[in-house]
Amino acid sequence: MCPSLPSSFLLSLLSLLCFSPYTALAIASSPADSISNSRSDYHEQLILRPLPLSTLLASFNFRSNTSLSAFEAHNFRFFPRSLGQILEHAGTRELHLRFSLGRWDAESWGARPWNGAREGGTGVEMWAWLEADTDEEADRKWLTLTNALSGLFCASLNFIDSTRTTRPVMSFQPEGNHIDANATNMHLLYGVLPHEVVCTENLTPFLKLLPCKGKAGIASLLDGHKLFDSSWQTMAIDIRPVCPEDGECVLQIEQSIDMVLDIDRSKRPRDNPIPRPPPAHEMKCNTSKPYHAHDTCFPTDSAANQDWSLSQIFGKPIKGTCPLTDPTVSPVCIQVPDSRIVFASEGAVEKKNPDQTSRCFDFPAENDFEIFLPAPEAQDGSVVIEHVAKPETPLLYAERSFTGHGQERGGVQTILRNPSPDQEVEFIYMESLPWFMRIYLHTISARVDGQPGKADSLIQEVYYRPAVDRARGTQLEVRMTVPPASTVFLTYDFEKSILRYTEYPPDANRGFDVAAAVITILNKDKSGGNGRNSRFAAYSLRTTTLLCNLPTPDFSMPYNVIIFTSTAIALAFGGMFNILVRRFVAANEGPESGLKKGVNKLKAKLAGILKKGRKESAPAVAAEEEKKAW
Amino acid sequence: MFARRPIDHGAAGDTLSSETQMATMTSSPMATPLSSATAAQTSTRKEPPPEKLSDIRRRIWVIVSFWLIVLLLGLPVWWKTTTIHRANLPLKEMLDWADGKACRPVFPLRISIQANSLPEQEAQNLLRLTQHALDDLNDFSGHHLRLQLSSPAAPQKRNDEPDTALTIRLLPGDAVTATLDPYEPVLDITYPPNAAPSATSASSSLATYVAGQLRSTFAEEQAIISYLLSSNSIPTDYRPQSLTPEAAESLAKRTTRSLKYAPTYHLTFSLFTSGPLPSSWDIEAAIQDYLKPVLDLLSPIHNFTIDTQVQLYASPGVQNQVLSKDDLSSFINAAEWPLSPSIGGAPTVNFIVFVGNQTIALSSENARDSAEGGLTTSQSWLIPQWGTVYLLSLPHDTAHVSVDALKQPLLTFTSHLLSLTGTPSSGSLPLRLSTLSRIRSADLLLRASSTLGSLARLALALKSISIPSSVADGVSKTIVHLRQACETLGEAEGLRHARIAEAEAERAFFEKSMVGQLYFPDEHKVAVYLPLLGPVAVPLVMGMLNELKAWRKRKREAAEKGKEKKKD
Repeated sequence: MCPSLPSSFLLSLLSLLCFSPYTALAIASSPADSISNSRSDYHEQLILRPLPLSTLLASFNFRSNTSLSAFEAHNFRFFPRSLGQILEHAGTRELHLRFSLGRWDAESWGARPWNGAREGGTGVEMWAWLEADTDEEADRKWLTLTNALSGLFCASLNFIDSTRTTRPVMSFQPEGNHIDANATNMHLLYGVLPHEVVCTENLTPFLKLLPCKGKAGIASLLDGHKLFDSSWQTMAIDIRPVCPEDGECVLQIEQSIDMVLDIDRSKRPRDNPIPRPPPAHEMKCNTSKPYHAHDTCFPTDSAANQDWSLSQIFGKPIKGTCPLTDPTVSPVCIQVPDSRIVFASEGAVEKKNPDQTSRCFDFPAENDFEIFLPAPEAQDGSVVIEHVAKPETPLLYAERSFTGHGQERGGVQTILRNPSPDQEVEFIYMESLPWFMRIYLHTISARVDGQPGKADSLIQEVYYRPAVDRARGTQLEVRMTVPPASTVFLTYDFEKSILRYTEYPPDANRGFDVAAAVITILNKDKSGGNGRNSRFAAYSLRTTTLLCNLPTPDFSMPYNVIIFTSTAIALAFGGMFNILVRRFVAANEGPESGLKKGVNKLKAKLAGILKKGRKESAPAVAAEEEKKAW
Repeated sequence: MFARRPIDHGAAGDTLSSETQMATMTSSPMATPLSSATAAQTSTRKEPPPEKLSDIRRRIWVIVSFWLIVLLLGLPVWWKTTTIHRANLPLKEMLDWADGKACRPVFPLRISIQANSLPEQEAQNLLRLTQHALDDLNDFSGHHLRLQLSSPAAPQKRNDEPDTALTIRLLPGDAVTATLDPYEPVLDITYPPNAAPSATSASSSLATYVAGQLRSTFAEEQAIISYLLSSNSIPTDYRPQSLTPEAAESLAKRTTRSLKYAPTYHLTFSLFTSGPLPSSWDIEAAIQDYLKPVLDLLSPIHNFTIDTQVQLYASPGVQNQVLSKDDLSSFINAAEWPLSPSIGGAPTVNFIVFVGNQTIALSSENARDSAEGGLTTSQSWLIPQWGTVYLLSLPHDTAHVSVDALKQPLLTFTSHLLSLTGTPSSGSLPLRLSTLSRIRSADLLLRASSTLGSLARLALALKSISIPSSVADGVSKTIVHLRQACETLGEAEGLRHARIAEAEAERAFFEKSMVGQLYFPDEHKVAVYLPLLGPVAVPLVMGMLNELKAWRKRKREAAEKGKEKKKD
């Protein structure tokens, strides 16, 4: 394959990715290609890719362009006006916004879609290049931007305050073409909200930004019920200026949604969503197991061989195509080996790509479109035929967890595994930690699994900006390498600080979310490409978010304190005051205390009643009468 | 037995003796020893020795000093720490502004007369007579027309006097006619040669005619201003009585329709279609051709920013082929159409072109009037303070809306924009615009005054609301600018001051920190104070009461002693 493409940078990129089943996506995501495609103003594509363990990756990509002159004249056609106004008002040159949910299972699903360029950590993540003369002005514009986007996307983006904002130094590079990319008036700000729960209210405004509004084209498949039921999903909005070598600069908005659906789960009817075991006679057993008998069964991965269709998984077929889309780009592609049979609805034209692992479909604008994949034929009782494209091995596996115990100190350990047998991986590891996690930078160390002692030479560069209580979070960027076929442990310790009473959220005992670490793998080919981002974005990934437990007080404490101190003061005061104003006399000189007097009176009365009762117990009636007479 | 033992009840009181009597009568083995024991105890009770005077005095000092600490230190500290900061507001002055007592809005309008063909003497006389006639006609002192003679030597100098609202050019002609110049604030009046009054005549038909013309030219402005004054609480003596209910109603309609004044308006032109086509339009060229001239004319009063958008697959809220009056209010699909107001403070005016063949049914009387055509229909409607919707029907497969197709919608938008900004409907355009600036300054002045009044009433009504010093600052700024605006009403300067005053008044009224602790329930205060104050207050109060009692007793004893001494 490897079509002829303009820039040498791309060729270098391709040399890296050419064998990947994800090549088509990788090309589409690279800026150079968007330049060549910028003539057409709108483009959308859905790429379906069955993954192992009966899951399906669906990648929706929508891209529209507007010329910078039209944008400055406020004439919006494909570019959403609401977003355009915000960008202009906040002086934003490039914006990236991510809404994510779930975890990408790299061990079974392999490399991430778009090489990780279109995903964020759990929650909401955004970064932008703002045009401002001073840092303060940049902060002000950032505040405007987050507040305006918060309203537009119904997300709590307005909670991205100074404690959640960092200015990354090494991890991010602009994707678009900026005339003065390194000028001092370009400020990169990065904010993250790991606690935010992404849901339908974020999808609705996302769809409103599309020219066809989710009413036609591939966007008609998107539905909150399915999207947020997926194992992993990420919604991304990327806005960047793109300047082709010949022609006018355009402002490009790229919206993408990637989701991993559990086919089994998606096929369950919505009115009966509870999974039930299949009856025994329908169970498929793995007959190769030694203990297989008529009454024992080791179930095969039967779900992997399921048949599925678009309307089964998404609940509806695609409603035609969006009429504005570029007709040269096929709206739906599916990445399965050519040997597998795929049925499409009537009128659709199937185009097999030369890489043998993917095919695309064109279909008329008015018709509904549907794909059906029958279960692959089982041969010789067991499934040997390749029915899903083999997932590509990612460049790096990363997982991060807390170590230590107690509520005072803790540690963070990141396990970085390089699966490649001969290639070293160089990357930038970035953490933006909340201020109440005070890290001890001297404890940061790397250790190679299986080798004794530290291997701190792997850490090549550290950029650290310490936290300021209640004002700024910690920013830690580490450039490091992982040798081939080895696992590196990156650890550091931290101390937990105690928050003020009002700083605890309502669900304080749940813990505090710590944003995902961003790992940006640098391109090995240092000399290649067109200079600007030649070292950049070979692959990027995010770890999962962490849940940090802080010492949580009893929240009735203030009232307890009030009561306790009041009691103490009252006791002390009462005693002292009484000593000062009372006169001391001998015990028999003082007046009889009120209580004793009362008790004596009561006793005398009781005695009188008892005596009376004793006396008149025999002639009770007569006594009664006598009493009355008295 | 034990109980029957004789008991000495010498020291016991009356009650005790009766008890012991009862005890002697009882046969219970339990009760008797107890009662006898108490009797034994009371029998040994002695009176304490009399207290020293210095001790009594010291005790009184202790109690008094505790009370003094509480009253002189505790109370002020508590008061100081819990009191709410309330900056001083000139409440009286604010209410005066709101009631219209502080400013009497007067719009002196200068009208110059150019009578180059008349001799100086005659022209002076004509002017005097016309002014006389005008004064006779006018019943509204707030709106006054002043005539002046412009020097015939320099007629082109008219532009140097920006205060001149209108110039009357008297030209000799065949008959008495009056025409308003459509491009300049000039009223051309022609008169036959004999109509000009002589230098001495006491009346002139020409003068009456000119006065009548002037009055009718400014009638609408006068009506609007007097309506504005009457709808705000301006004392009746400034108000003209001539407003008929019908006129007031139509003016009310107009004022509710027009947008609140803002220095900048944001115009959004949107093309909506329920299907995929058309997806582009020549809006830029159309705005340049049809709307820009009017925007340029309005530019001294308002700035405008413009943006346009195309939205496909936007189905309206009502699908009927013919829209009735009730449908119009729900036609805008607010949930799905991206018509969010612009950010940055300027109010947004929406102009929507909806591509579709729907029409609006006009009310039945109008339909009957318009001959036998049956139902008349219309294409557009104005949504008060919001914008306009225009239904544009195009051939089914139009992909691009041309400038020609946009001409009618844009012309409709232009006229609706004028009425949305509150421009009067009659007169030539320059006159309408100068009138607009006067109406706007009056409107802003009244708005700012009434905001001040509301703030004053709020401060009076809610004693527990805090008033930060920024509010007091805003109020004083507002009052300064209001005063200046009041002095220069009718001039460009007046509009500027009124604008600042209104903005400051709004800022003061909507100060955020005022409502921060509006609700702090009393139960909370009790829960916080009681645990401390209860236990502390009880010994304090009891100590004081005991001491008072003892003091009274001593006084009484002293008095008795004195009496006994007297007796002795």
